[in-house]
Amino acid sequence: MSDEGAGPVVHAAVLREPAHRVSPQAVPFWRVSALIGDAVLVVAVVVAYVLIPDVPGWTLVLVLLVAAAAIAHVVLMPQIRYRVHRWEVTDTAVHTRSGWIGRETRIAPISRVQTVDSRQGALMRLFGLASITVTTASAAGPITVDCLDADTAREVVARLTAITAATEDDAT
Amino acid sequence: MIPTPGSPGEGWLRLSPRKLLLDPVKAIGQAVVPLVVALVGISRSDSGFGWVILPIAIVAPLLFGALPWLTTHYRLTDTQIQVRSGVLNKNTSTAPLDRVRSVDLEASLLHRVLGLQKVQVGTGVDDDRITLDALAAADADALRTTLLRRREAPAVVPSDPDAPEGVAPAPVAVPVELARIDWSWLRFAPFSLARLVLLAGALGVLSQFGDDLPIWNEETARSTWDWVMQFALTAVVLVLAVAGLAVWLVVSVTGYVVQWWRFLLIREHGSLHLTSGLFTTRSITVEEAKVRGVEMTEPLLMRVVGGAELSTLATGVEDGVTQVLPPCPRDVAVGVGESVLEHRGPLTDPLVAHGPLARRRAWFRQLRDALVVVAAGAAATWWFGVTWWWVGLGGLALLLAAAAAGESSYRHLGHALAGDHLVAGSGILARVRTVLETDGIIGWVVSQSWWQRRIGLADLVATTAAGNERVLVRDVRLTVAVELAAAATPGLLTEFLEV
Repeated sequence: MSDEGAGPVVHAAVLREPAHRVSPQAVPFWRVSALIGDAVLVVAVVVAYVLIPDVPGWTLVLVLLVAAAAIAHVVLMPQIRYRVHRWEVTDTAVHTRSGWIGRETRIAPISRVQTVDSRQGALMRLFGLASITVTTASAAGPITVDCLDADTAREVVARLTAITAATEDDAT
Repeated sequence: MIPTPGSPGEGWLRLSPRKLLLDPVKAIGQAVVPLVVALVGISRSDSGFGWVILPIAIVAPLLFGALPWLTTHYRLTDTQIQVRSGVLNKNTSTAPLDRVRSVDLEASLLHRVLGLQKVQVGTGVDDDRITLDALAAADADALRTTLLRRREAPAVVPSDPDAPEGVAPAPVAVPVELARIDWSWLRFAPFSLARLVLLAGALGVLSQFGDDLPIWNEETARSTWDWVMQFALTAVVLVLAVAGLAVWLVVSVTGYVVQWWRFLLIREHGSLHLTSGLFTTRSITVEEAKVRGVEMTEPLLMRVVGGAELSTLATGVEDGVTQVLPPCPRDVAVGVGESVLEHRGPLTDPLVAHGPLARRRAWFRQLRDALVVVAAGAAATWWFGVTWWWVGLGGLALLLAAAAAGESSYRHLGHALAGDHLVAGSGILARVRTVLETDGIIGWVVSQSWWQRRIGLADLVATTAAGNERVLVRDVRLTVAVELAAAATPGLLTEFLEV
């Protein structure tokens, strides 16, 4: 930084996207989990429509809308999400981007990282995926990298743990 | 098996013996309702059996009340404070002395009659606090001083040569007074509505009992209503309003006096130390090194009369936000805030406005909620067949109020980077200004909803371990947000910026 951090940076600042994509396996994983969740919802709505007597006719439109939204969710969400989700771990910071309708970018300095967790659900294991969560001393600051390739996740956890073990601050 | 903690060689101390009076009285206080219920039951049942229960009901609280004194011990070693307690499950809490962040003393009226103090020792982040309930007041004070001195002792040596902060008298621990109660501040009491919530709660409880009263049935209600309606409606409303106002004046002023009696805020041993209270006295100590910022709140009504409140944002305190000033003149709040921050400006400098797009969103956010209510009202009208006139009028009033709220929330919006402090303005009706040391920022979150992306705005969150753990800069232009983050934490974002 040339301006010693005092004033605002002169040029228009734009964050570049983090370097890496998540595992391609994430797409089918997201699709299957969306399918399961949406199927439950659609079945519940349809059952309610069939079982409740004397419903007015326009509720059928609602049922169809729910079904259409569910289909759109299952078809579109995984692809969009795969394009948006990115992550990067440098020697000094963790940087992620996530979301599919909205966008969320999170950055935390590695010197402030307190814990590094990895998580692998049953369905995730089926697709060979794992998620990493990095927490800082702030409840608002956890950074999750969803759906990494399980091997990559292990490497990243090992690297992060090594770096954080070297820091001796109490990270607040 | 059981160690003998009472043995003097180990340095274990008991709580004050006067606790033997304190706890049974408290226990009886808690048991009094069941006791009365039991007595009523006994008197009705006519059996001799009840007279066996009665002594038990009285003696049991006394016994149980004495248990904590018998089983709780504490000691101060060279490096730690240790507290051992429990009857069946032995519980030992330990805290390293150099991790002690805060020592708070509290005494209820009962404590004070007995000359006792409850001591709470805070350490680290979000940890459970060590509680000693209760010590003799002198012992508690000595313990507090010892704990804070010991924590401070190693820090004094290095801070001697490099003492750039002109305000803090580092070498000699002379207490500096930052603020003390000024009873002309009492004028702000009726304008601080926080206590209104308590009052509403109390009314709610009363209304519970109201249902059980024999006079309260539909017939009496109707006849009362008829009786009331004999008078002009306006007169009734007027009388009720005046009575309500009078009650509010009494409650708010009394509450203020009770809470802030002998309020004193001083700085000593590198800590902020607050004492106040008429019946229950509180003494709160926050280590200044752990204070990462301040938050000044000017609620709508208080702003009309030029009042404000001030809190510190600290790490390692129970909920992070500690109110350090009663409702007081804005100048006093600013002055104390600046002396805590050791910087002039962050609390008074103008903020960077977020522009017309942010104003549109502020309006929209408030109007959307109002429209939902209006729609619900309209649906109800259609359903129940009430006159449209009322709904129209109510809806109009609501929308106007929402528009006003939207404009006011936009005017409170803003941000600034004042030296090494991040400043964020927020609040819908209240004007809130949050100041956070950039050293206390431990990460950034930039989030954009779909709507925000369309118009290039973003919410920027600085995450921190202090206070509410996040400082939000809402609806700021994305490029401005990134610039602000990059400037506030030099170096952190450099490698992620597009050149």
